[in-house]
Amino acid sequence: MSPETREIIVNGLWKQNPGIVQLLGLCPLLAISNNVVNALSLGLATTLVMAVASGSVAVVRDYIPQAARIPLFVLIIAALVTVVELLMHAYVLALYVVLGVFLPLITTNCIVLARVEAFASKRGTLHSVLDAVMMGLGLTLVLVVLGGLREVFGKGTLLSGLDLVFGPVAKDWVIQVVPDYQGLLLAILPPGAFIGLGLIIAARNWLEGMRARRARVDSPLGQTA
Amino acid sequence: MIGSPFIQREHNSVRLTMAKVMAALIPGTLAHAWFFGPGIFVSLLVCFAFALLFEGLALLMRGCCFKDFIGDGSVLVTAWLFALSVPPLAPWWLYAVGILFAVVVAKHLYGGLGQNPFNPAMVGYAVLIVSFPNYMTQWPGPSYLVMHLPSLAEAFDLVFAGQGAISADAYTMASPLDTVKTLMRAGVAKVDILANPVFGRFSGSGLEWVAGMYLVGGVLLIANRVITWHVPVAFLAAVAASAAVLHAIDPGNNMGPLFHLLTASVMLGAFFIATDPVSGCATPRGKLIFGALAGFLAIIIRSYGGYPDGVAFSILLMNVAAPFIDAYTQPRVYGHAKGGKVGR
Amino acid sequence: MIEFRNRILVTASALLAFAMFGAALLSGTFQLTRPAIEQSERAAKMKLIAQVLPPDGFDNDLIRAARPLPADPLLGLRHPGEAYLAMRHGQPVAVVLEAAAPDGYSGEIRFLVGIRPDGTVAGVRVTSHHETPGLGDYIEIGKSPWVRVFDGKSLADPQPVNWKVRKDGGLFDYMAGATITPRALVKAVRRTLEYFQAHRNELLATTKEQP
Repeated sequence: MSPETREIIVNGLWKQNPGIVQLLGLCPLLAISNNVVNALSLGLATTLVMAVASGSVAVVRDYIPQAARIPLFVLIIAALVTVVELLMHAYVLALYVVLGVFLPLITTNCIVLARVEAFASKRGTLHSVLDAVMMGLGLTLVLVVLGGLREVFGKGTLLSGLDLVFGPVAKDWVIQVVPDYQGLLLAILPPGAFIGLGLIIAARNWLEGMRARRARVDSPLGQTA
Repeated sequence: MIGSPFIQREHNSVRLTMAKVMAALIPGTLAHAWFFGPGIFVSLLVCFAFALLFEGLALLMRGCCFKDFIGDGSVLVTAWLFALSVPPLAPWWLYAVGILFAVVVAKHLYGGLGQNPFNPAMVGYAVLIVSFPNYMTQWPGPSYLVMHLPSLAEAFDLVFAGQGAISADAYTMASPLDTVKTLMRAGVAKVDILANPVFGRFSGSGLEWVAGMYLVGGVLLIANRVITWHVPVAFLAAVAASAAVLHAIDPGNNMGPLFHLLTASVMLGAFFIATDPVSGCATPRGKLIFGALAGFLAIIIRSYGGYPDGVAFSILLMNVAAPFIDAYTQPRVYGHAKGGKVGR
Repeated sequence: MIEFRNRILVTASALLAFAMFGAALLSGTFQLTRPAIEQSERAAKMKLIAQVLPPDGFDNDLIRAARPLPADPLLGLRHPGEAYLAMRHGQPVAVVLEAAAPDGYSGEIRFLVGIRPDGTVAGVRVTSHHETPGLGDYIEIGKSPWVRVFDGKSLADPQPVNWKVRKDGGLFDYMAGATITPRALVKAVRRTLEYFQAHRNELLATTKEQP
């Protein structure tokens, strides 16, 4: 793995994570993270759109006139989002209803445009796709962790709503993490999203702070400084 | 970052202030026990225990100041205010969840005593009312209106063993605020609503006495210079004024100012919660603005919101605005002209 | 100058090309997915309606048998709704009415009622509401089975005076903390039954008269 590839992966998943470092695309992140299934679906849909958008922009980047680039990017992204939306409407209707307006709103998710503008319009196709996928997965990761936290604390389950994707068979696949749980409604309601995201960001900062402290102690300069 | 005024004094002084606040809460608590049974003592005890436990754990985990802070009494005040805001006789874990959010999330995650932007007791209350509205609306009625108020021993049973021999119907009653809201929306005439025995002379039967005792405690606090008059006066005036305006516009569907002043947590909020020096305003003009806006919002949320009361939400909302208000109401330093320029 | 014009031309034609490509992509996908979308929409609607029908089944196409329902005050509808007639062997087994309770705790509660020809309720399902989470939302079947209290009830049983929640002296249970929500729903279901009684013949007419 070349150092560049490595850096792209680390940036997307951790160092420049869109959800908890760049804080981009928070609107759908907060709205759709009330359980794991919703969070994962929206995260993957966004990742798919990002990958195809970044890839296609990178391919045609030499033909895009500088002055009209932003409208063109939005045009490409919007077309892709609509395709994804139509497909979901046709084949996973229940999920489509749950995600509601946040599916078309992927178009306006700044992280998609940001990666296209900042990365894909300047770099090679393969790296652009990798970057988009990693950024998308980074966002998905935060979505799933937040969705999992909210679902476990809110309802005591994991993977509820899987039947929206796989039909009634999947009703039995729900994991009851805490039996006879009363439910903490706060976690499911919108405030839970803000509090949960705040806690995740705080946890990341705490981890980074610890690592920085350890690095300082381990380095030879740390002894004298 | 500027700490709150009182953290810079001696810790003894924090302890003394907290002791005075707790002393001022005694009359209201006793009145509560007189009318609504000894259950409040059980919930108070449970809240104290969990508050000390969580405070101790949080201080140990922060690893800096266990000895300095564990005895300062501030967490007991938080627990006491919280206990007076939530119904007694609820299961013990309800208090544990509320205190956990109040002490660990609202206080220590933000940096501990003097650093919390929100009033911890109200954060605990808000978490519970949003998460468990069914438990949070089961208030006991006054002893002479319900079948059987649990005794102290029975109250322990209810809190720790859950609904045992006594069903909730035997001692709970719709609160006056709830009764008003429910019946008004059902289109019952106001005269008929007020004929309900849950209402007393001014507001809820028994509740008006509890509110009166909070008022007494609050006046004692002002007399002892623990708090200044600004916030309570502005808060109560705004509550009365907003209620009066609404009542004047549509007397059939709004209660008068006196009812609102003496109902639920208005008095408690005015003297004990909105006056919190950490999460509230510090400048005199700021305190007036803070209190007035909080009182106004409390009536608006109470009248039009989906939850039973608005005092906690209004104070939390104003907590967000407090630093902003303070920044714009800094008193002019002597010798400096208006606008911060140095005068001659 | 010419270079400037060229640049505009290039930009415009690039925009045009991408727009045309996007439009082609979209219309292609739309054409491809349209049958699937229609089918899954129908299936979802059928599933909802089937929940309020008697379990012994029906054999007609409910969606095609939909007929308009006026915005009658008894139904609480602000806009015309729809009624669905379920039949078996040419005989009506139940009719499903769209209705609404305008006086929920925070706004309108919309629901479907399935009514058997003899006037008993086959089922009630709430389709949309804004009640307080955790307090009034037990009317949703996903949150609590409470809404099944209506099954088998009719205008004769219980007596009209008992079509109230227990707190008001009626026969319908409710959950502690929220009485406004069930009260609104009980009243609205009773009114829907009254509407059915008044328009029984047209609602159960097996041939749909075309306007």
